[in-house]
Amino acid sequence: MFTRSDDKITSTQASIFLTDSVLGAGILTMPRAVVVAGETPDVWLSVLLGGLIVMVLIVVMVKLSQQFPEKTVFQYAGIVIGKVPAFILCWLLIIFFITIAGFEVRVLAEVTLFFLLEGTPMWATMIPFIWVSGYLLFGGLNATVRLFQLILPVSLFVLIVSYLLSIRIFEVDNLLPVLGDGLLPVFKGLKATVLIFAGFEVVMFLVAHMQHPEKAIKAMIAGISVPLAIYFFTIIFVIGGMSIDAILRSTWPTIDLLRSFEVAGLFFERLEFPFLVIWMMQLFCNFTCYFFGASLGISQLLRIKFRPVIFAMMPIIYLASVIPQDINDLFALGDIIGWSGIILFCLIPLPLSIIWLIRRKGLRQDA
Amino acid sequence: MWSKVIEYFPDWKAWMQAIVMTLIALGSYRIHGRLYKWGYNQPKQDGQQQGNSHQQGDGQPQNIAQQKVDGQQQGENQQQNDGQQPSDPWQQPQSQPSPQLTGNYDADMALIKEQLGNNSDVHFRDFRISIRNSRAVLIFVEGMQNEALINRQVMQNLMDNSFVKFEGYAMHNQSQAFAAYLKDKLLPISKISEVTDLYELEQSILFGFTALLIDGLPHALLVGEPAPKVRAINEPTSEALLRGPRIGFTEVLGENTALLRQHGRGADLELKMIEVGSRIKRNLVIAYMKEIVNKELLQEVEDRIANMNMDFISESGYVEQLIEDNWLSPFQQVQNTERPDRVISALLEGRIGILLDGTPFALIVPVTFSMLLQSPEDYYERWLPGSLLRTLRFFVAFLALMIPALYISFISFHPGLIPTELAITIIETRQGVPFPSLIEVLILEVSIEILREAGIRLPKPIGPAMGIVGGLIIGDAAVQAGIVSPILVIAVAVTAISSFAIPIYSAGITLRILRFSGMLFAATLGMFGTILFFLFICSHLTKLKSFGVPYITPASPYRFNDWKDLVLRAPVTLMKRRPSMLKPQDKKRRS
Amino acid sequence: MRRLSYLIGMMLLCSLLLTGCWSSKEIEERSVYVGMAVDLANKTTAEKQLESQGGGTQVQPLITATIQIVPLKSVGRGQQQAESGSIKKYLNVSETGNSIFEIMRNYSLKRDRAVIGHHLKVFVISTELAEKIELHKLLDFLLRDNDIRPSSMVFLSRGKAMDTLESDEPDEIPAFRIRDMVRNKFRNNKIYKEVILTNLDGYFHAKQSFILQNIAAADTGEIEFTGAGIIKGSTNKWIGDLDQENLSAISWIQGDSSGGLLKTVNDRNSIITYEILSGESKIIPKVDGERLSFHVDIKTEGRLIETWDAEETASKAFFLKEAEQKFEQKLETMLQNLMKKMQTEYKVEVAGFGDRLRITHPKVWKKVKDDWDDIFSRATVSFDISLKITDYGSSTE
Repeated sequence: MFTRSDDKITSTQASIFLTDSVLGAGILTMPRAVVVAGETPDVWLSVLLGGLIVMVLIVVMVKLSQQFPEKTVFQYAGIVIGKVPAFILCWLLIIFFITIAGFEVRVLAEVTLFFLLEGTPMWATMIPFIWVSGYLLFGGLNATVRLFQLILPVSLFVLIVSYLLSIRIFEVDNLLPVLGDGLLPVFKGLKATVLIFAGFEVVMFLVAHMQHPEKAIKAMIAGISVPLAIYFFTIIFVIGGMSIDAILRSTWPTIDLLRSFEVAGLFFERLEFPFLVIWMMQLFCNFTCYFFGASLGISQLLRIKFRPVIFAMMPIIYLASVIPQDINDLFALGDIIGWSGIILFCLIPLPLSIIWLIRRKGLRQDA
Repeated sequence: MWSKVIEYFPDWKAWMQAIVMTLIALGSYRIHGRLYKWGYNQPKQDGQQQGNSHQQGDGQPQNIAQQKVDGQQQGENQQQNDGQQPSDPWQQPQSQPSPQLTGNYDADMALIKEQLGNNSDVHFRDFRISIRNSRAVLIFVEGMQNEALINRQVMQNLMDNSFVKFEGYAMHNQSQAFAAYLKDKLLPISKISEVTDLYELEQSILFGFTALLIDGLPHALLVGEPAPKVRAINEPTSEALLRGPRIGFTEVLGENTALLRQHGRGADLELKMIEVGSRIKRNLVIAYMKEIVNKELLQEVEDRIANMNMDFISESGYVEQLIEDNWLSPFQQVQNTERPDRVISALLEGRIGILLDGTPFALIVPVTFSMLLQSPEDYYERWLPGSLLRTLRFFVAFLALMIPALYISFISFHPGLIPTELAITIIETRQGVPFPSLIEVLILEVSIEILREAGIRLPKPIGPAMGIVGGLIIGDAAVQAGIVSPILVIAVAVTAISSFAIPIYSAGITLRILRFSGMLFAATLGMFGTILFFLFICSHLTKLKSFGVPYITPASPYRFNDWKDLVLRAPVTLMKRRPSMLKPQDKKRRS
Repeated sequence: MRRLSYLIGMMLLCSLLLTGCWSSKEIEERSVYVGMAVDLANKTTAEKQLESQGGGTQVQPLITATIQIVPLKSVGRGQQQAESGSIKKYLNVSETGNSIFEIMRNYSLKRDRAVIGHHLKVFVISTELAEKIELHKLLDFLLRDNDIRPSSMVFLSRGKAMDTLESDEPDEIPAFRIRDMVRNKFRNNKIYKEVILTNLDGYFHAKQSFILQNIAAADTGEIEFTGAGIIKGSTNKWIGDLDQENLSAISWIQGDSSGGLLKTVNDRNSIITYEILSGESKIIPKVDGERLSFHVDIKTEGRLIETWDAEETASKAFFLKEAEQKFEQKLETMLQNLMKKMQTEYKVEVAGFGDRLRITHPKVWKKVKDDWDDIFSRATVSFDISLKITDYGSSTE
């Protein structure tokens, strides 16, 4: 077939979708959240551990989704637990996606207004952002993921380069001693690190869109590994460059890290410029993922066309984003999102898998 | 609990903003959709009936075409088409059977004179054929035939007494025998054909054939072929190269197709002739490699060309605009080129070339974004310089698009993002500039655009002089007068030069247009606006398709095999496969 | 339907027109300040009178903040080049108040161009002020502000801080001079490594004592790096100074001396000088019950670069040995002087011993970190110096 009519994506594209849906505001807020929870330089271990835990959760979700080829969670939940409970659970998931989308766009607005555009009304940054995202979504999943593919390598490159240039203020002493306080703070930090991977729930509808769902596990693990690696580098470089104590006093530690040194002689001696640019693009992808997830959920649940749903979602997401009244509310919302991600996992894929396993066993015994 | 919830409930302003936002989004979607329908609905409706006619064409001009294209393969296509000609609605618009030549010399002459006699450039040369002493007339349009050939090979022979008699041709029909004799012995001309259809005859005469009408023969003879005024083959002006063939297409389709064939031996190249234009007709050739091209792609191209509906296709630009996927996009979805080598290498990648009579610009479809920044020279040079130049061009395209927007956002919004020393220099030089950066940039950008536009029309001898006056003196004077800052002059100059470095002129124009909208975005929201603009362009590019091929392949979706020929140009020895994005039948370049 | 779409189109157009350029302000309409100095303000006689009568609710002493604005407004384009040889390229403006932010905003009452802090490079605090006001209070605005980059460097000044931002040299911007002088550390280890706002953020949170480079200023507009001022962690106030040699000793302990010199006299009372090519150190904390002790291992290699002793031949091994011993003695004295200052005079620890202990004995560190300065003053520190002269330059005699 020369022109494709189905909106399927390749395994690489699915990985990138997952990467983009996890890698978002966390780059900026994660170091502080994790260090506050752990209060030890070892929190990078927590990040790794958290990533591993999330990988396990993802495998569970992929396995579940693979039982229902071509079906998203919004479609197969009904098969497993009946229409009404599934309806409620799916709505919870949709609300979750909407909240994350609102959160991301709000974080974007906060950072933009603080560092770049002091004095601009907040709606003026959020609304065009939502518009462009909606415009992209009109092209369907395929075009959306193509944009992700375009942006992600550039983002990763710029991120890594910015971090590597911060080596001039990097001090290994800040990362030592390893496990000086034992493992306990590491587990305390874990609480925060699992939260930064919130959003991996997209797996439940992503597998259905894959050309080769049988390769889903590999693709999804690869997809979550990239944000894991990036978060790992972030925490290492931020702690190394700033020390735990400075992070605890900083609202946006990652930006402060990049603002703490100047590369004389480069055309942009200030690395927060390229960093903020690619971070915004990354956040755009991140936001679009949830925008897509929420719209897809509603369109499949209520059986309406995709495009009108995009229009309907725009004001809803906007309203969701203006709910936090100040920056503390915003960070609190971030925590709530992290927790509800875990709760949702316990509410949807876990029981669904168990019920499905029991029912299948039951069927086998009957036969 | 409830008070808490109510406290967090968005206030009416937020609701208003949300509603207005959605309405605007909906509105622009509707306007976009309406525009689209407006453009597409009309041709679609009657395109259905007329579509076929373009493709099939009517017999006569296609015979001409067949004669002109010296390929063998076309034959079968043409034959099929000929068979369908009676059903063709375009041939007889009055839906009457076309009048035939009667064989009665006077009557025929009267008919022809009635049809063509009003044209001052149609000449009737009466003479007598010495052998039979019958009347004959040569009908031709002034300036379009090969006069020497007609004089020597036709007139001289026919008027010469001393010629062999046609005794051997004893046939049951006297006139038939004579006709055969004429062709076999008397007229040493390679191209000769018989016409009985009056309409066809007229068309041929007007197209430049010379018609020979002889008393007593039931049909007219078309002798010789039109010799239109031809330009010599020149080096293509819009795509000059240092290395590579210096041959460019000309205005004559036959020569252009010949140029393609001359590239080398091989029966793979297939040229398919289609006639386009509803009032004034023209020939169009679809060129492709039979064993490489994807059949579905070919079908799609043929369908779109058949669906074109225009009374006259004066240049390949019309074709381009009528067959492209999205005519609201600022990006071209069809590539135009003057270089035969470019067309051939595109064909070998599995693409399809479209050549139109009367223009030296051939079209290549489908096109991807990276092609706009590639030059044939990349392949002719060794791979390192090729890669370097290509990387440079990608960088240059970025510069041409973004410099003014970045300038505005730095100057007006983010003084904190530029290096300190640079910031101080800028402040020093910008003191006394009375305009905000947007106006300042607009002043200079617009004058550069005017200069560029004027430069095209300036006569060659004074062009460079005016360029110096415009560029150097105005720029310097503007700085001296304090209207613009010197830094901006540098920025704008770099932008202007950058857009010249893009190998495809029309792609350069696209970037020029987009640059202005980028400036507006930057003037509204600074760096954030610039990023939004960039994201918007990227979103548009990812959605755009050229004949079903995503516009930014192979950059995305990843086709790592094709990355060998994207920003870098891998050594030729490594390029073993054709681009897989075109899904060619034969994937291997080297075995 | 059609009418609706026109309406929406109009709305779109209007909204585009409405979107003015909220944050847009041309760069030349703002003043960039690259340096800032804070001093204790002298109270005017009127204020003193009011205060004596119970007026003046100022809880804190007043602060005078001086900012250095570059570049100056140029008079005219033509004249600019002709005059640039003689005029200053910067402008120092002072303002008094008791909140740094208030002071910053008061500049808007005085100047037509709003000041922006994106390009702040150096921040100088007079010790007079640092003695009275906690540093974290002075720096709080700088750490919070969104314009000021945490890469700004912080210095102390014994005299008036605003004097350090003066220069008589034409075309020189004093703030840049200070910034670039710090980079000379590779030539002289009497310069302390740059301390940026981010570092201070960490020190404040850990309540750690630290030192800041001292700058002295002369009336002629010249400045010099003269040792360092000590900020005590528990109070965040200035308590005293270390001189240049102490600072050099700190560099030795921290293994930070990659350049610089060591000067002493030999037995014949001639000056000999050692150029440091490399200097490494290792602090080894030892915990023995309640007793803390540190052992510092310093290894250095260098060149005999200058000797006033005409009698000796540098190529002779015994001469080099003797010189090495002299240098080691000198270094030992320097280190002991420093320890005396830290342990007995000021009772602070600013040489990085605590950090080492934190890494090697995290459990012990937890217990002692709250009153580390006191505990350190009771600890014993021993040094082991191995100095090696590897060459003697291009002259053998």
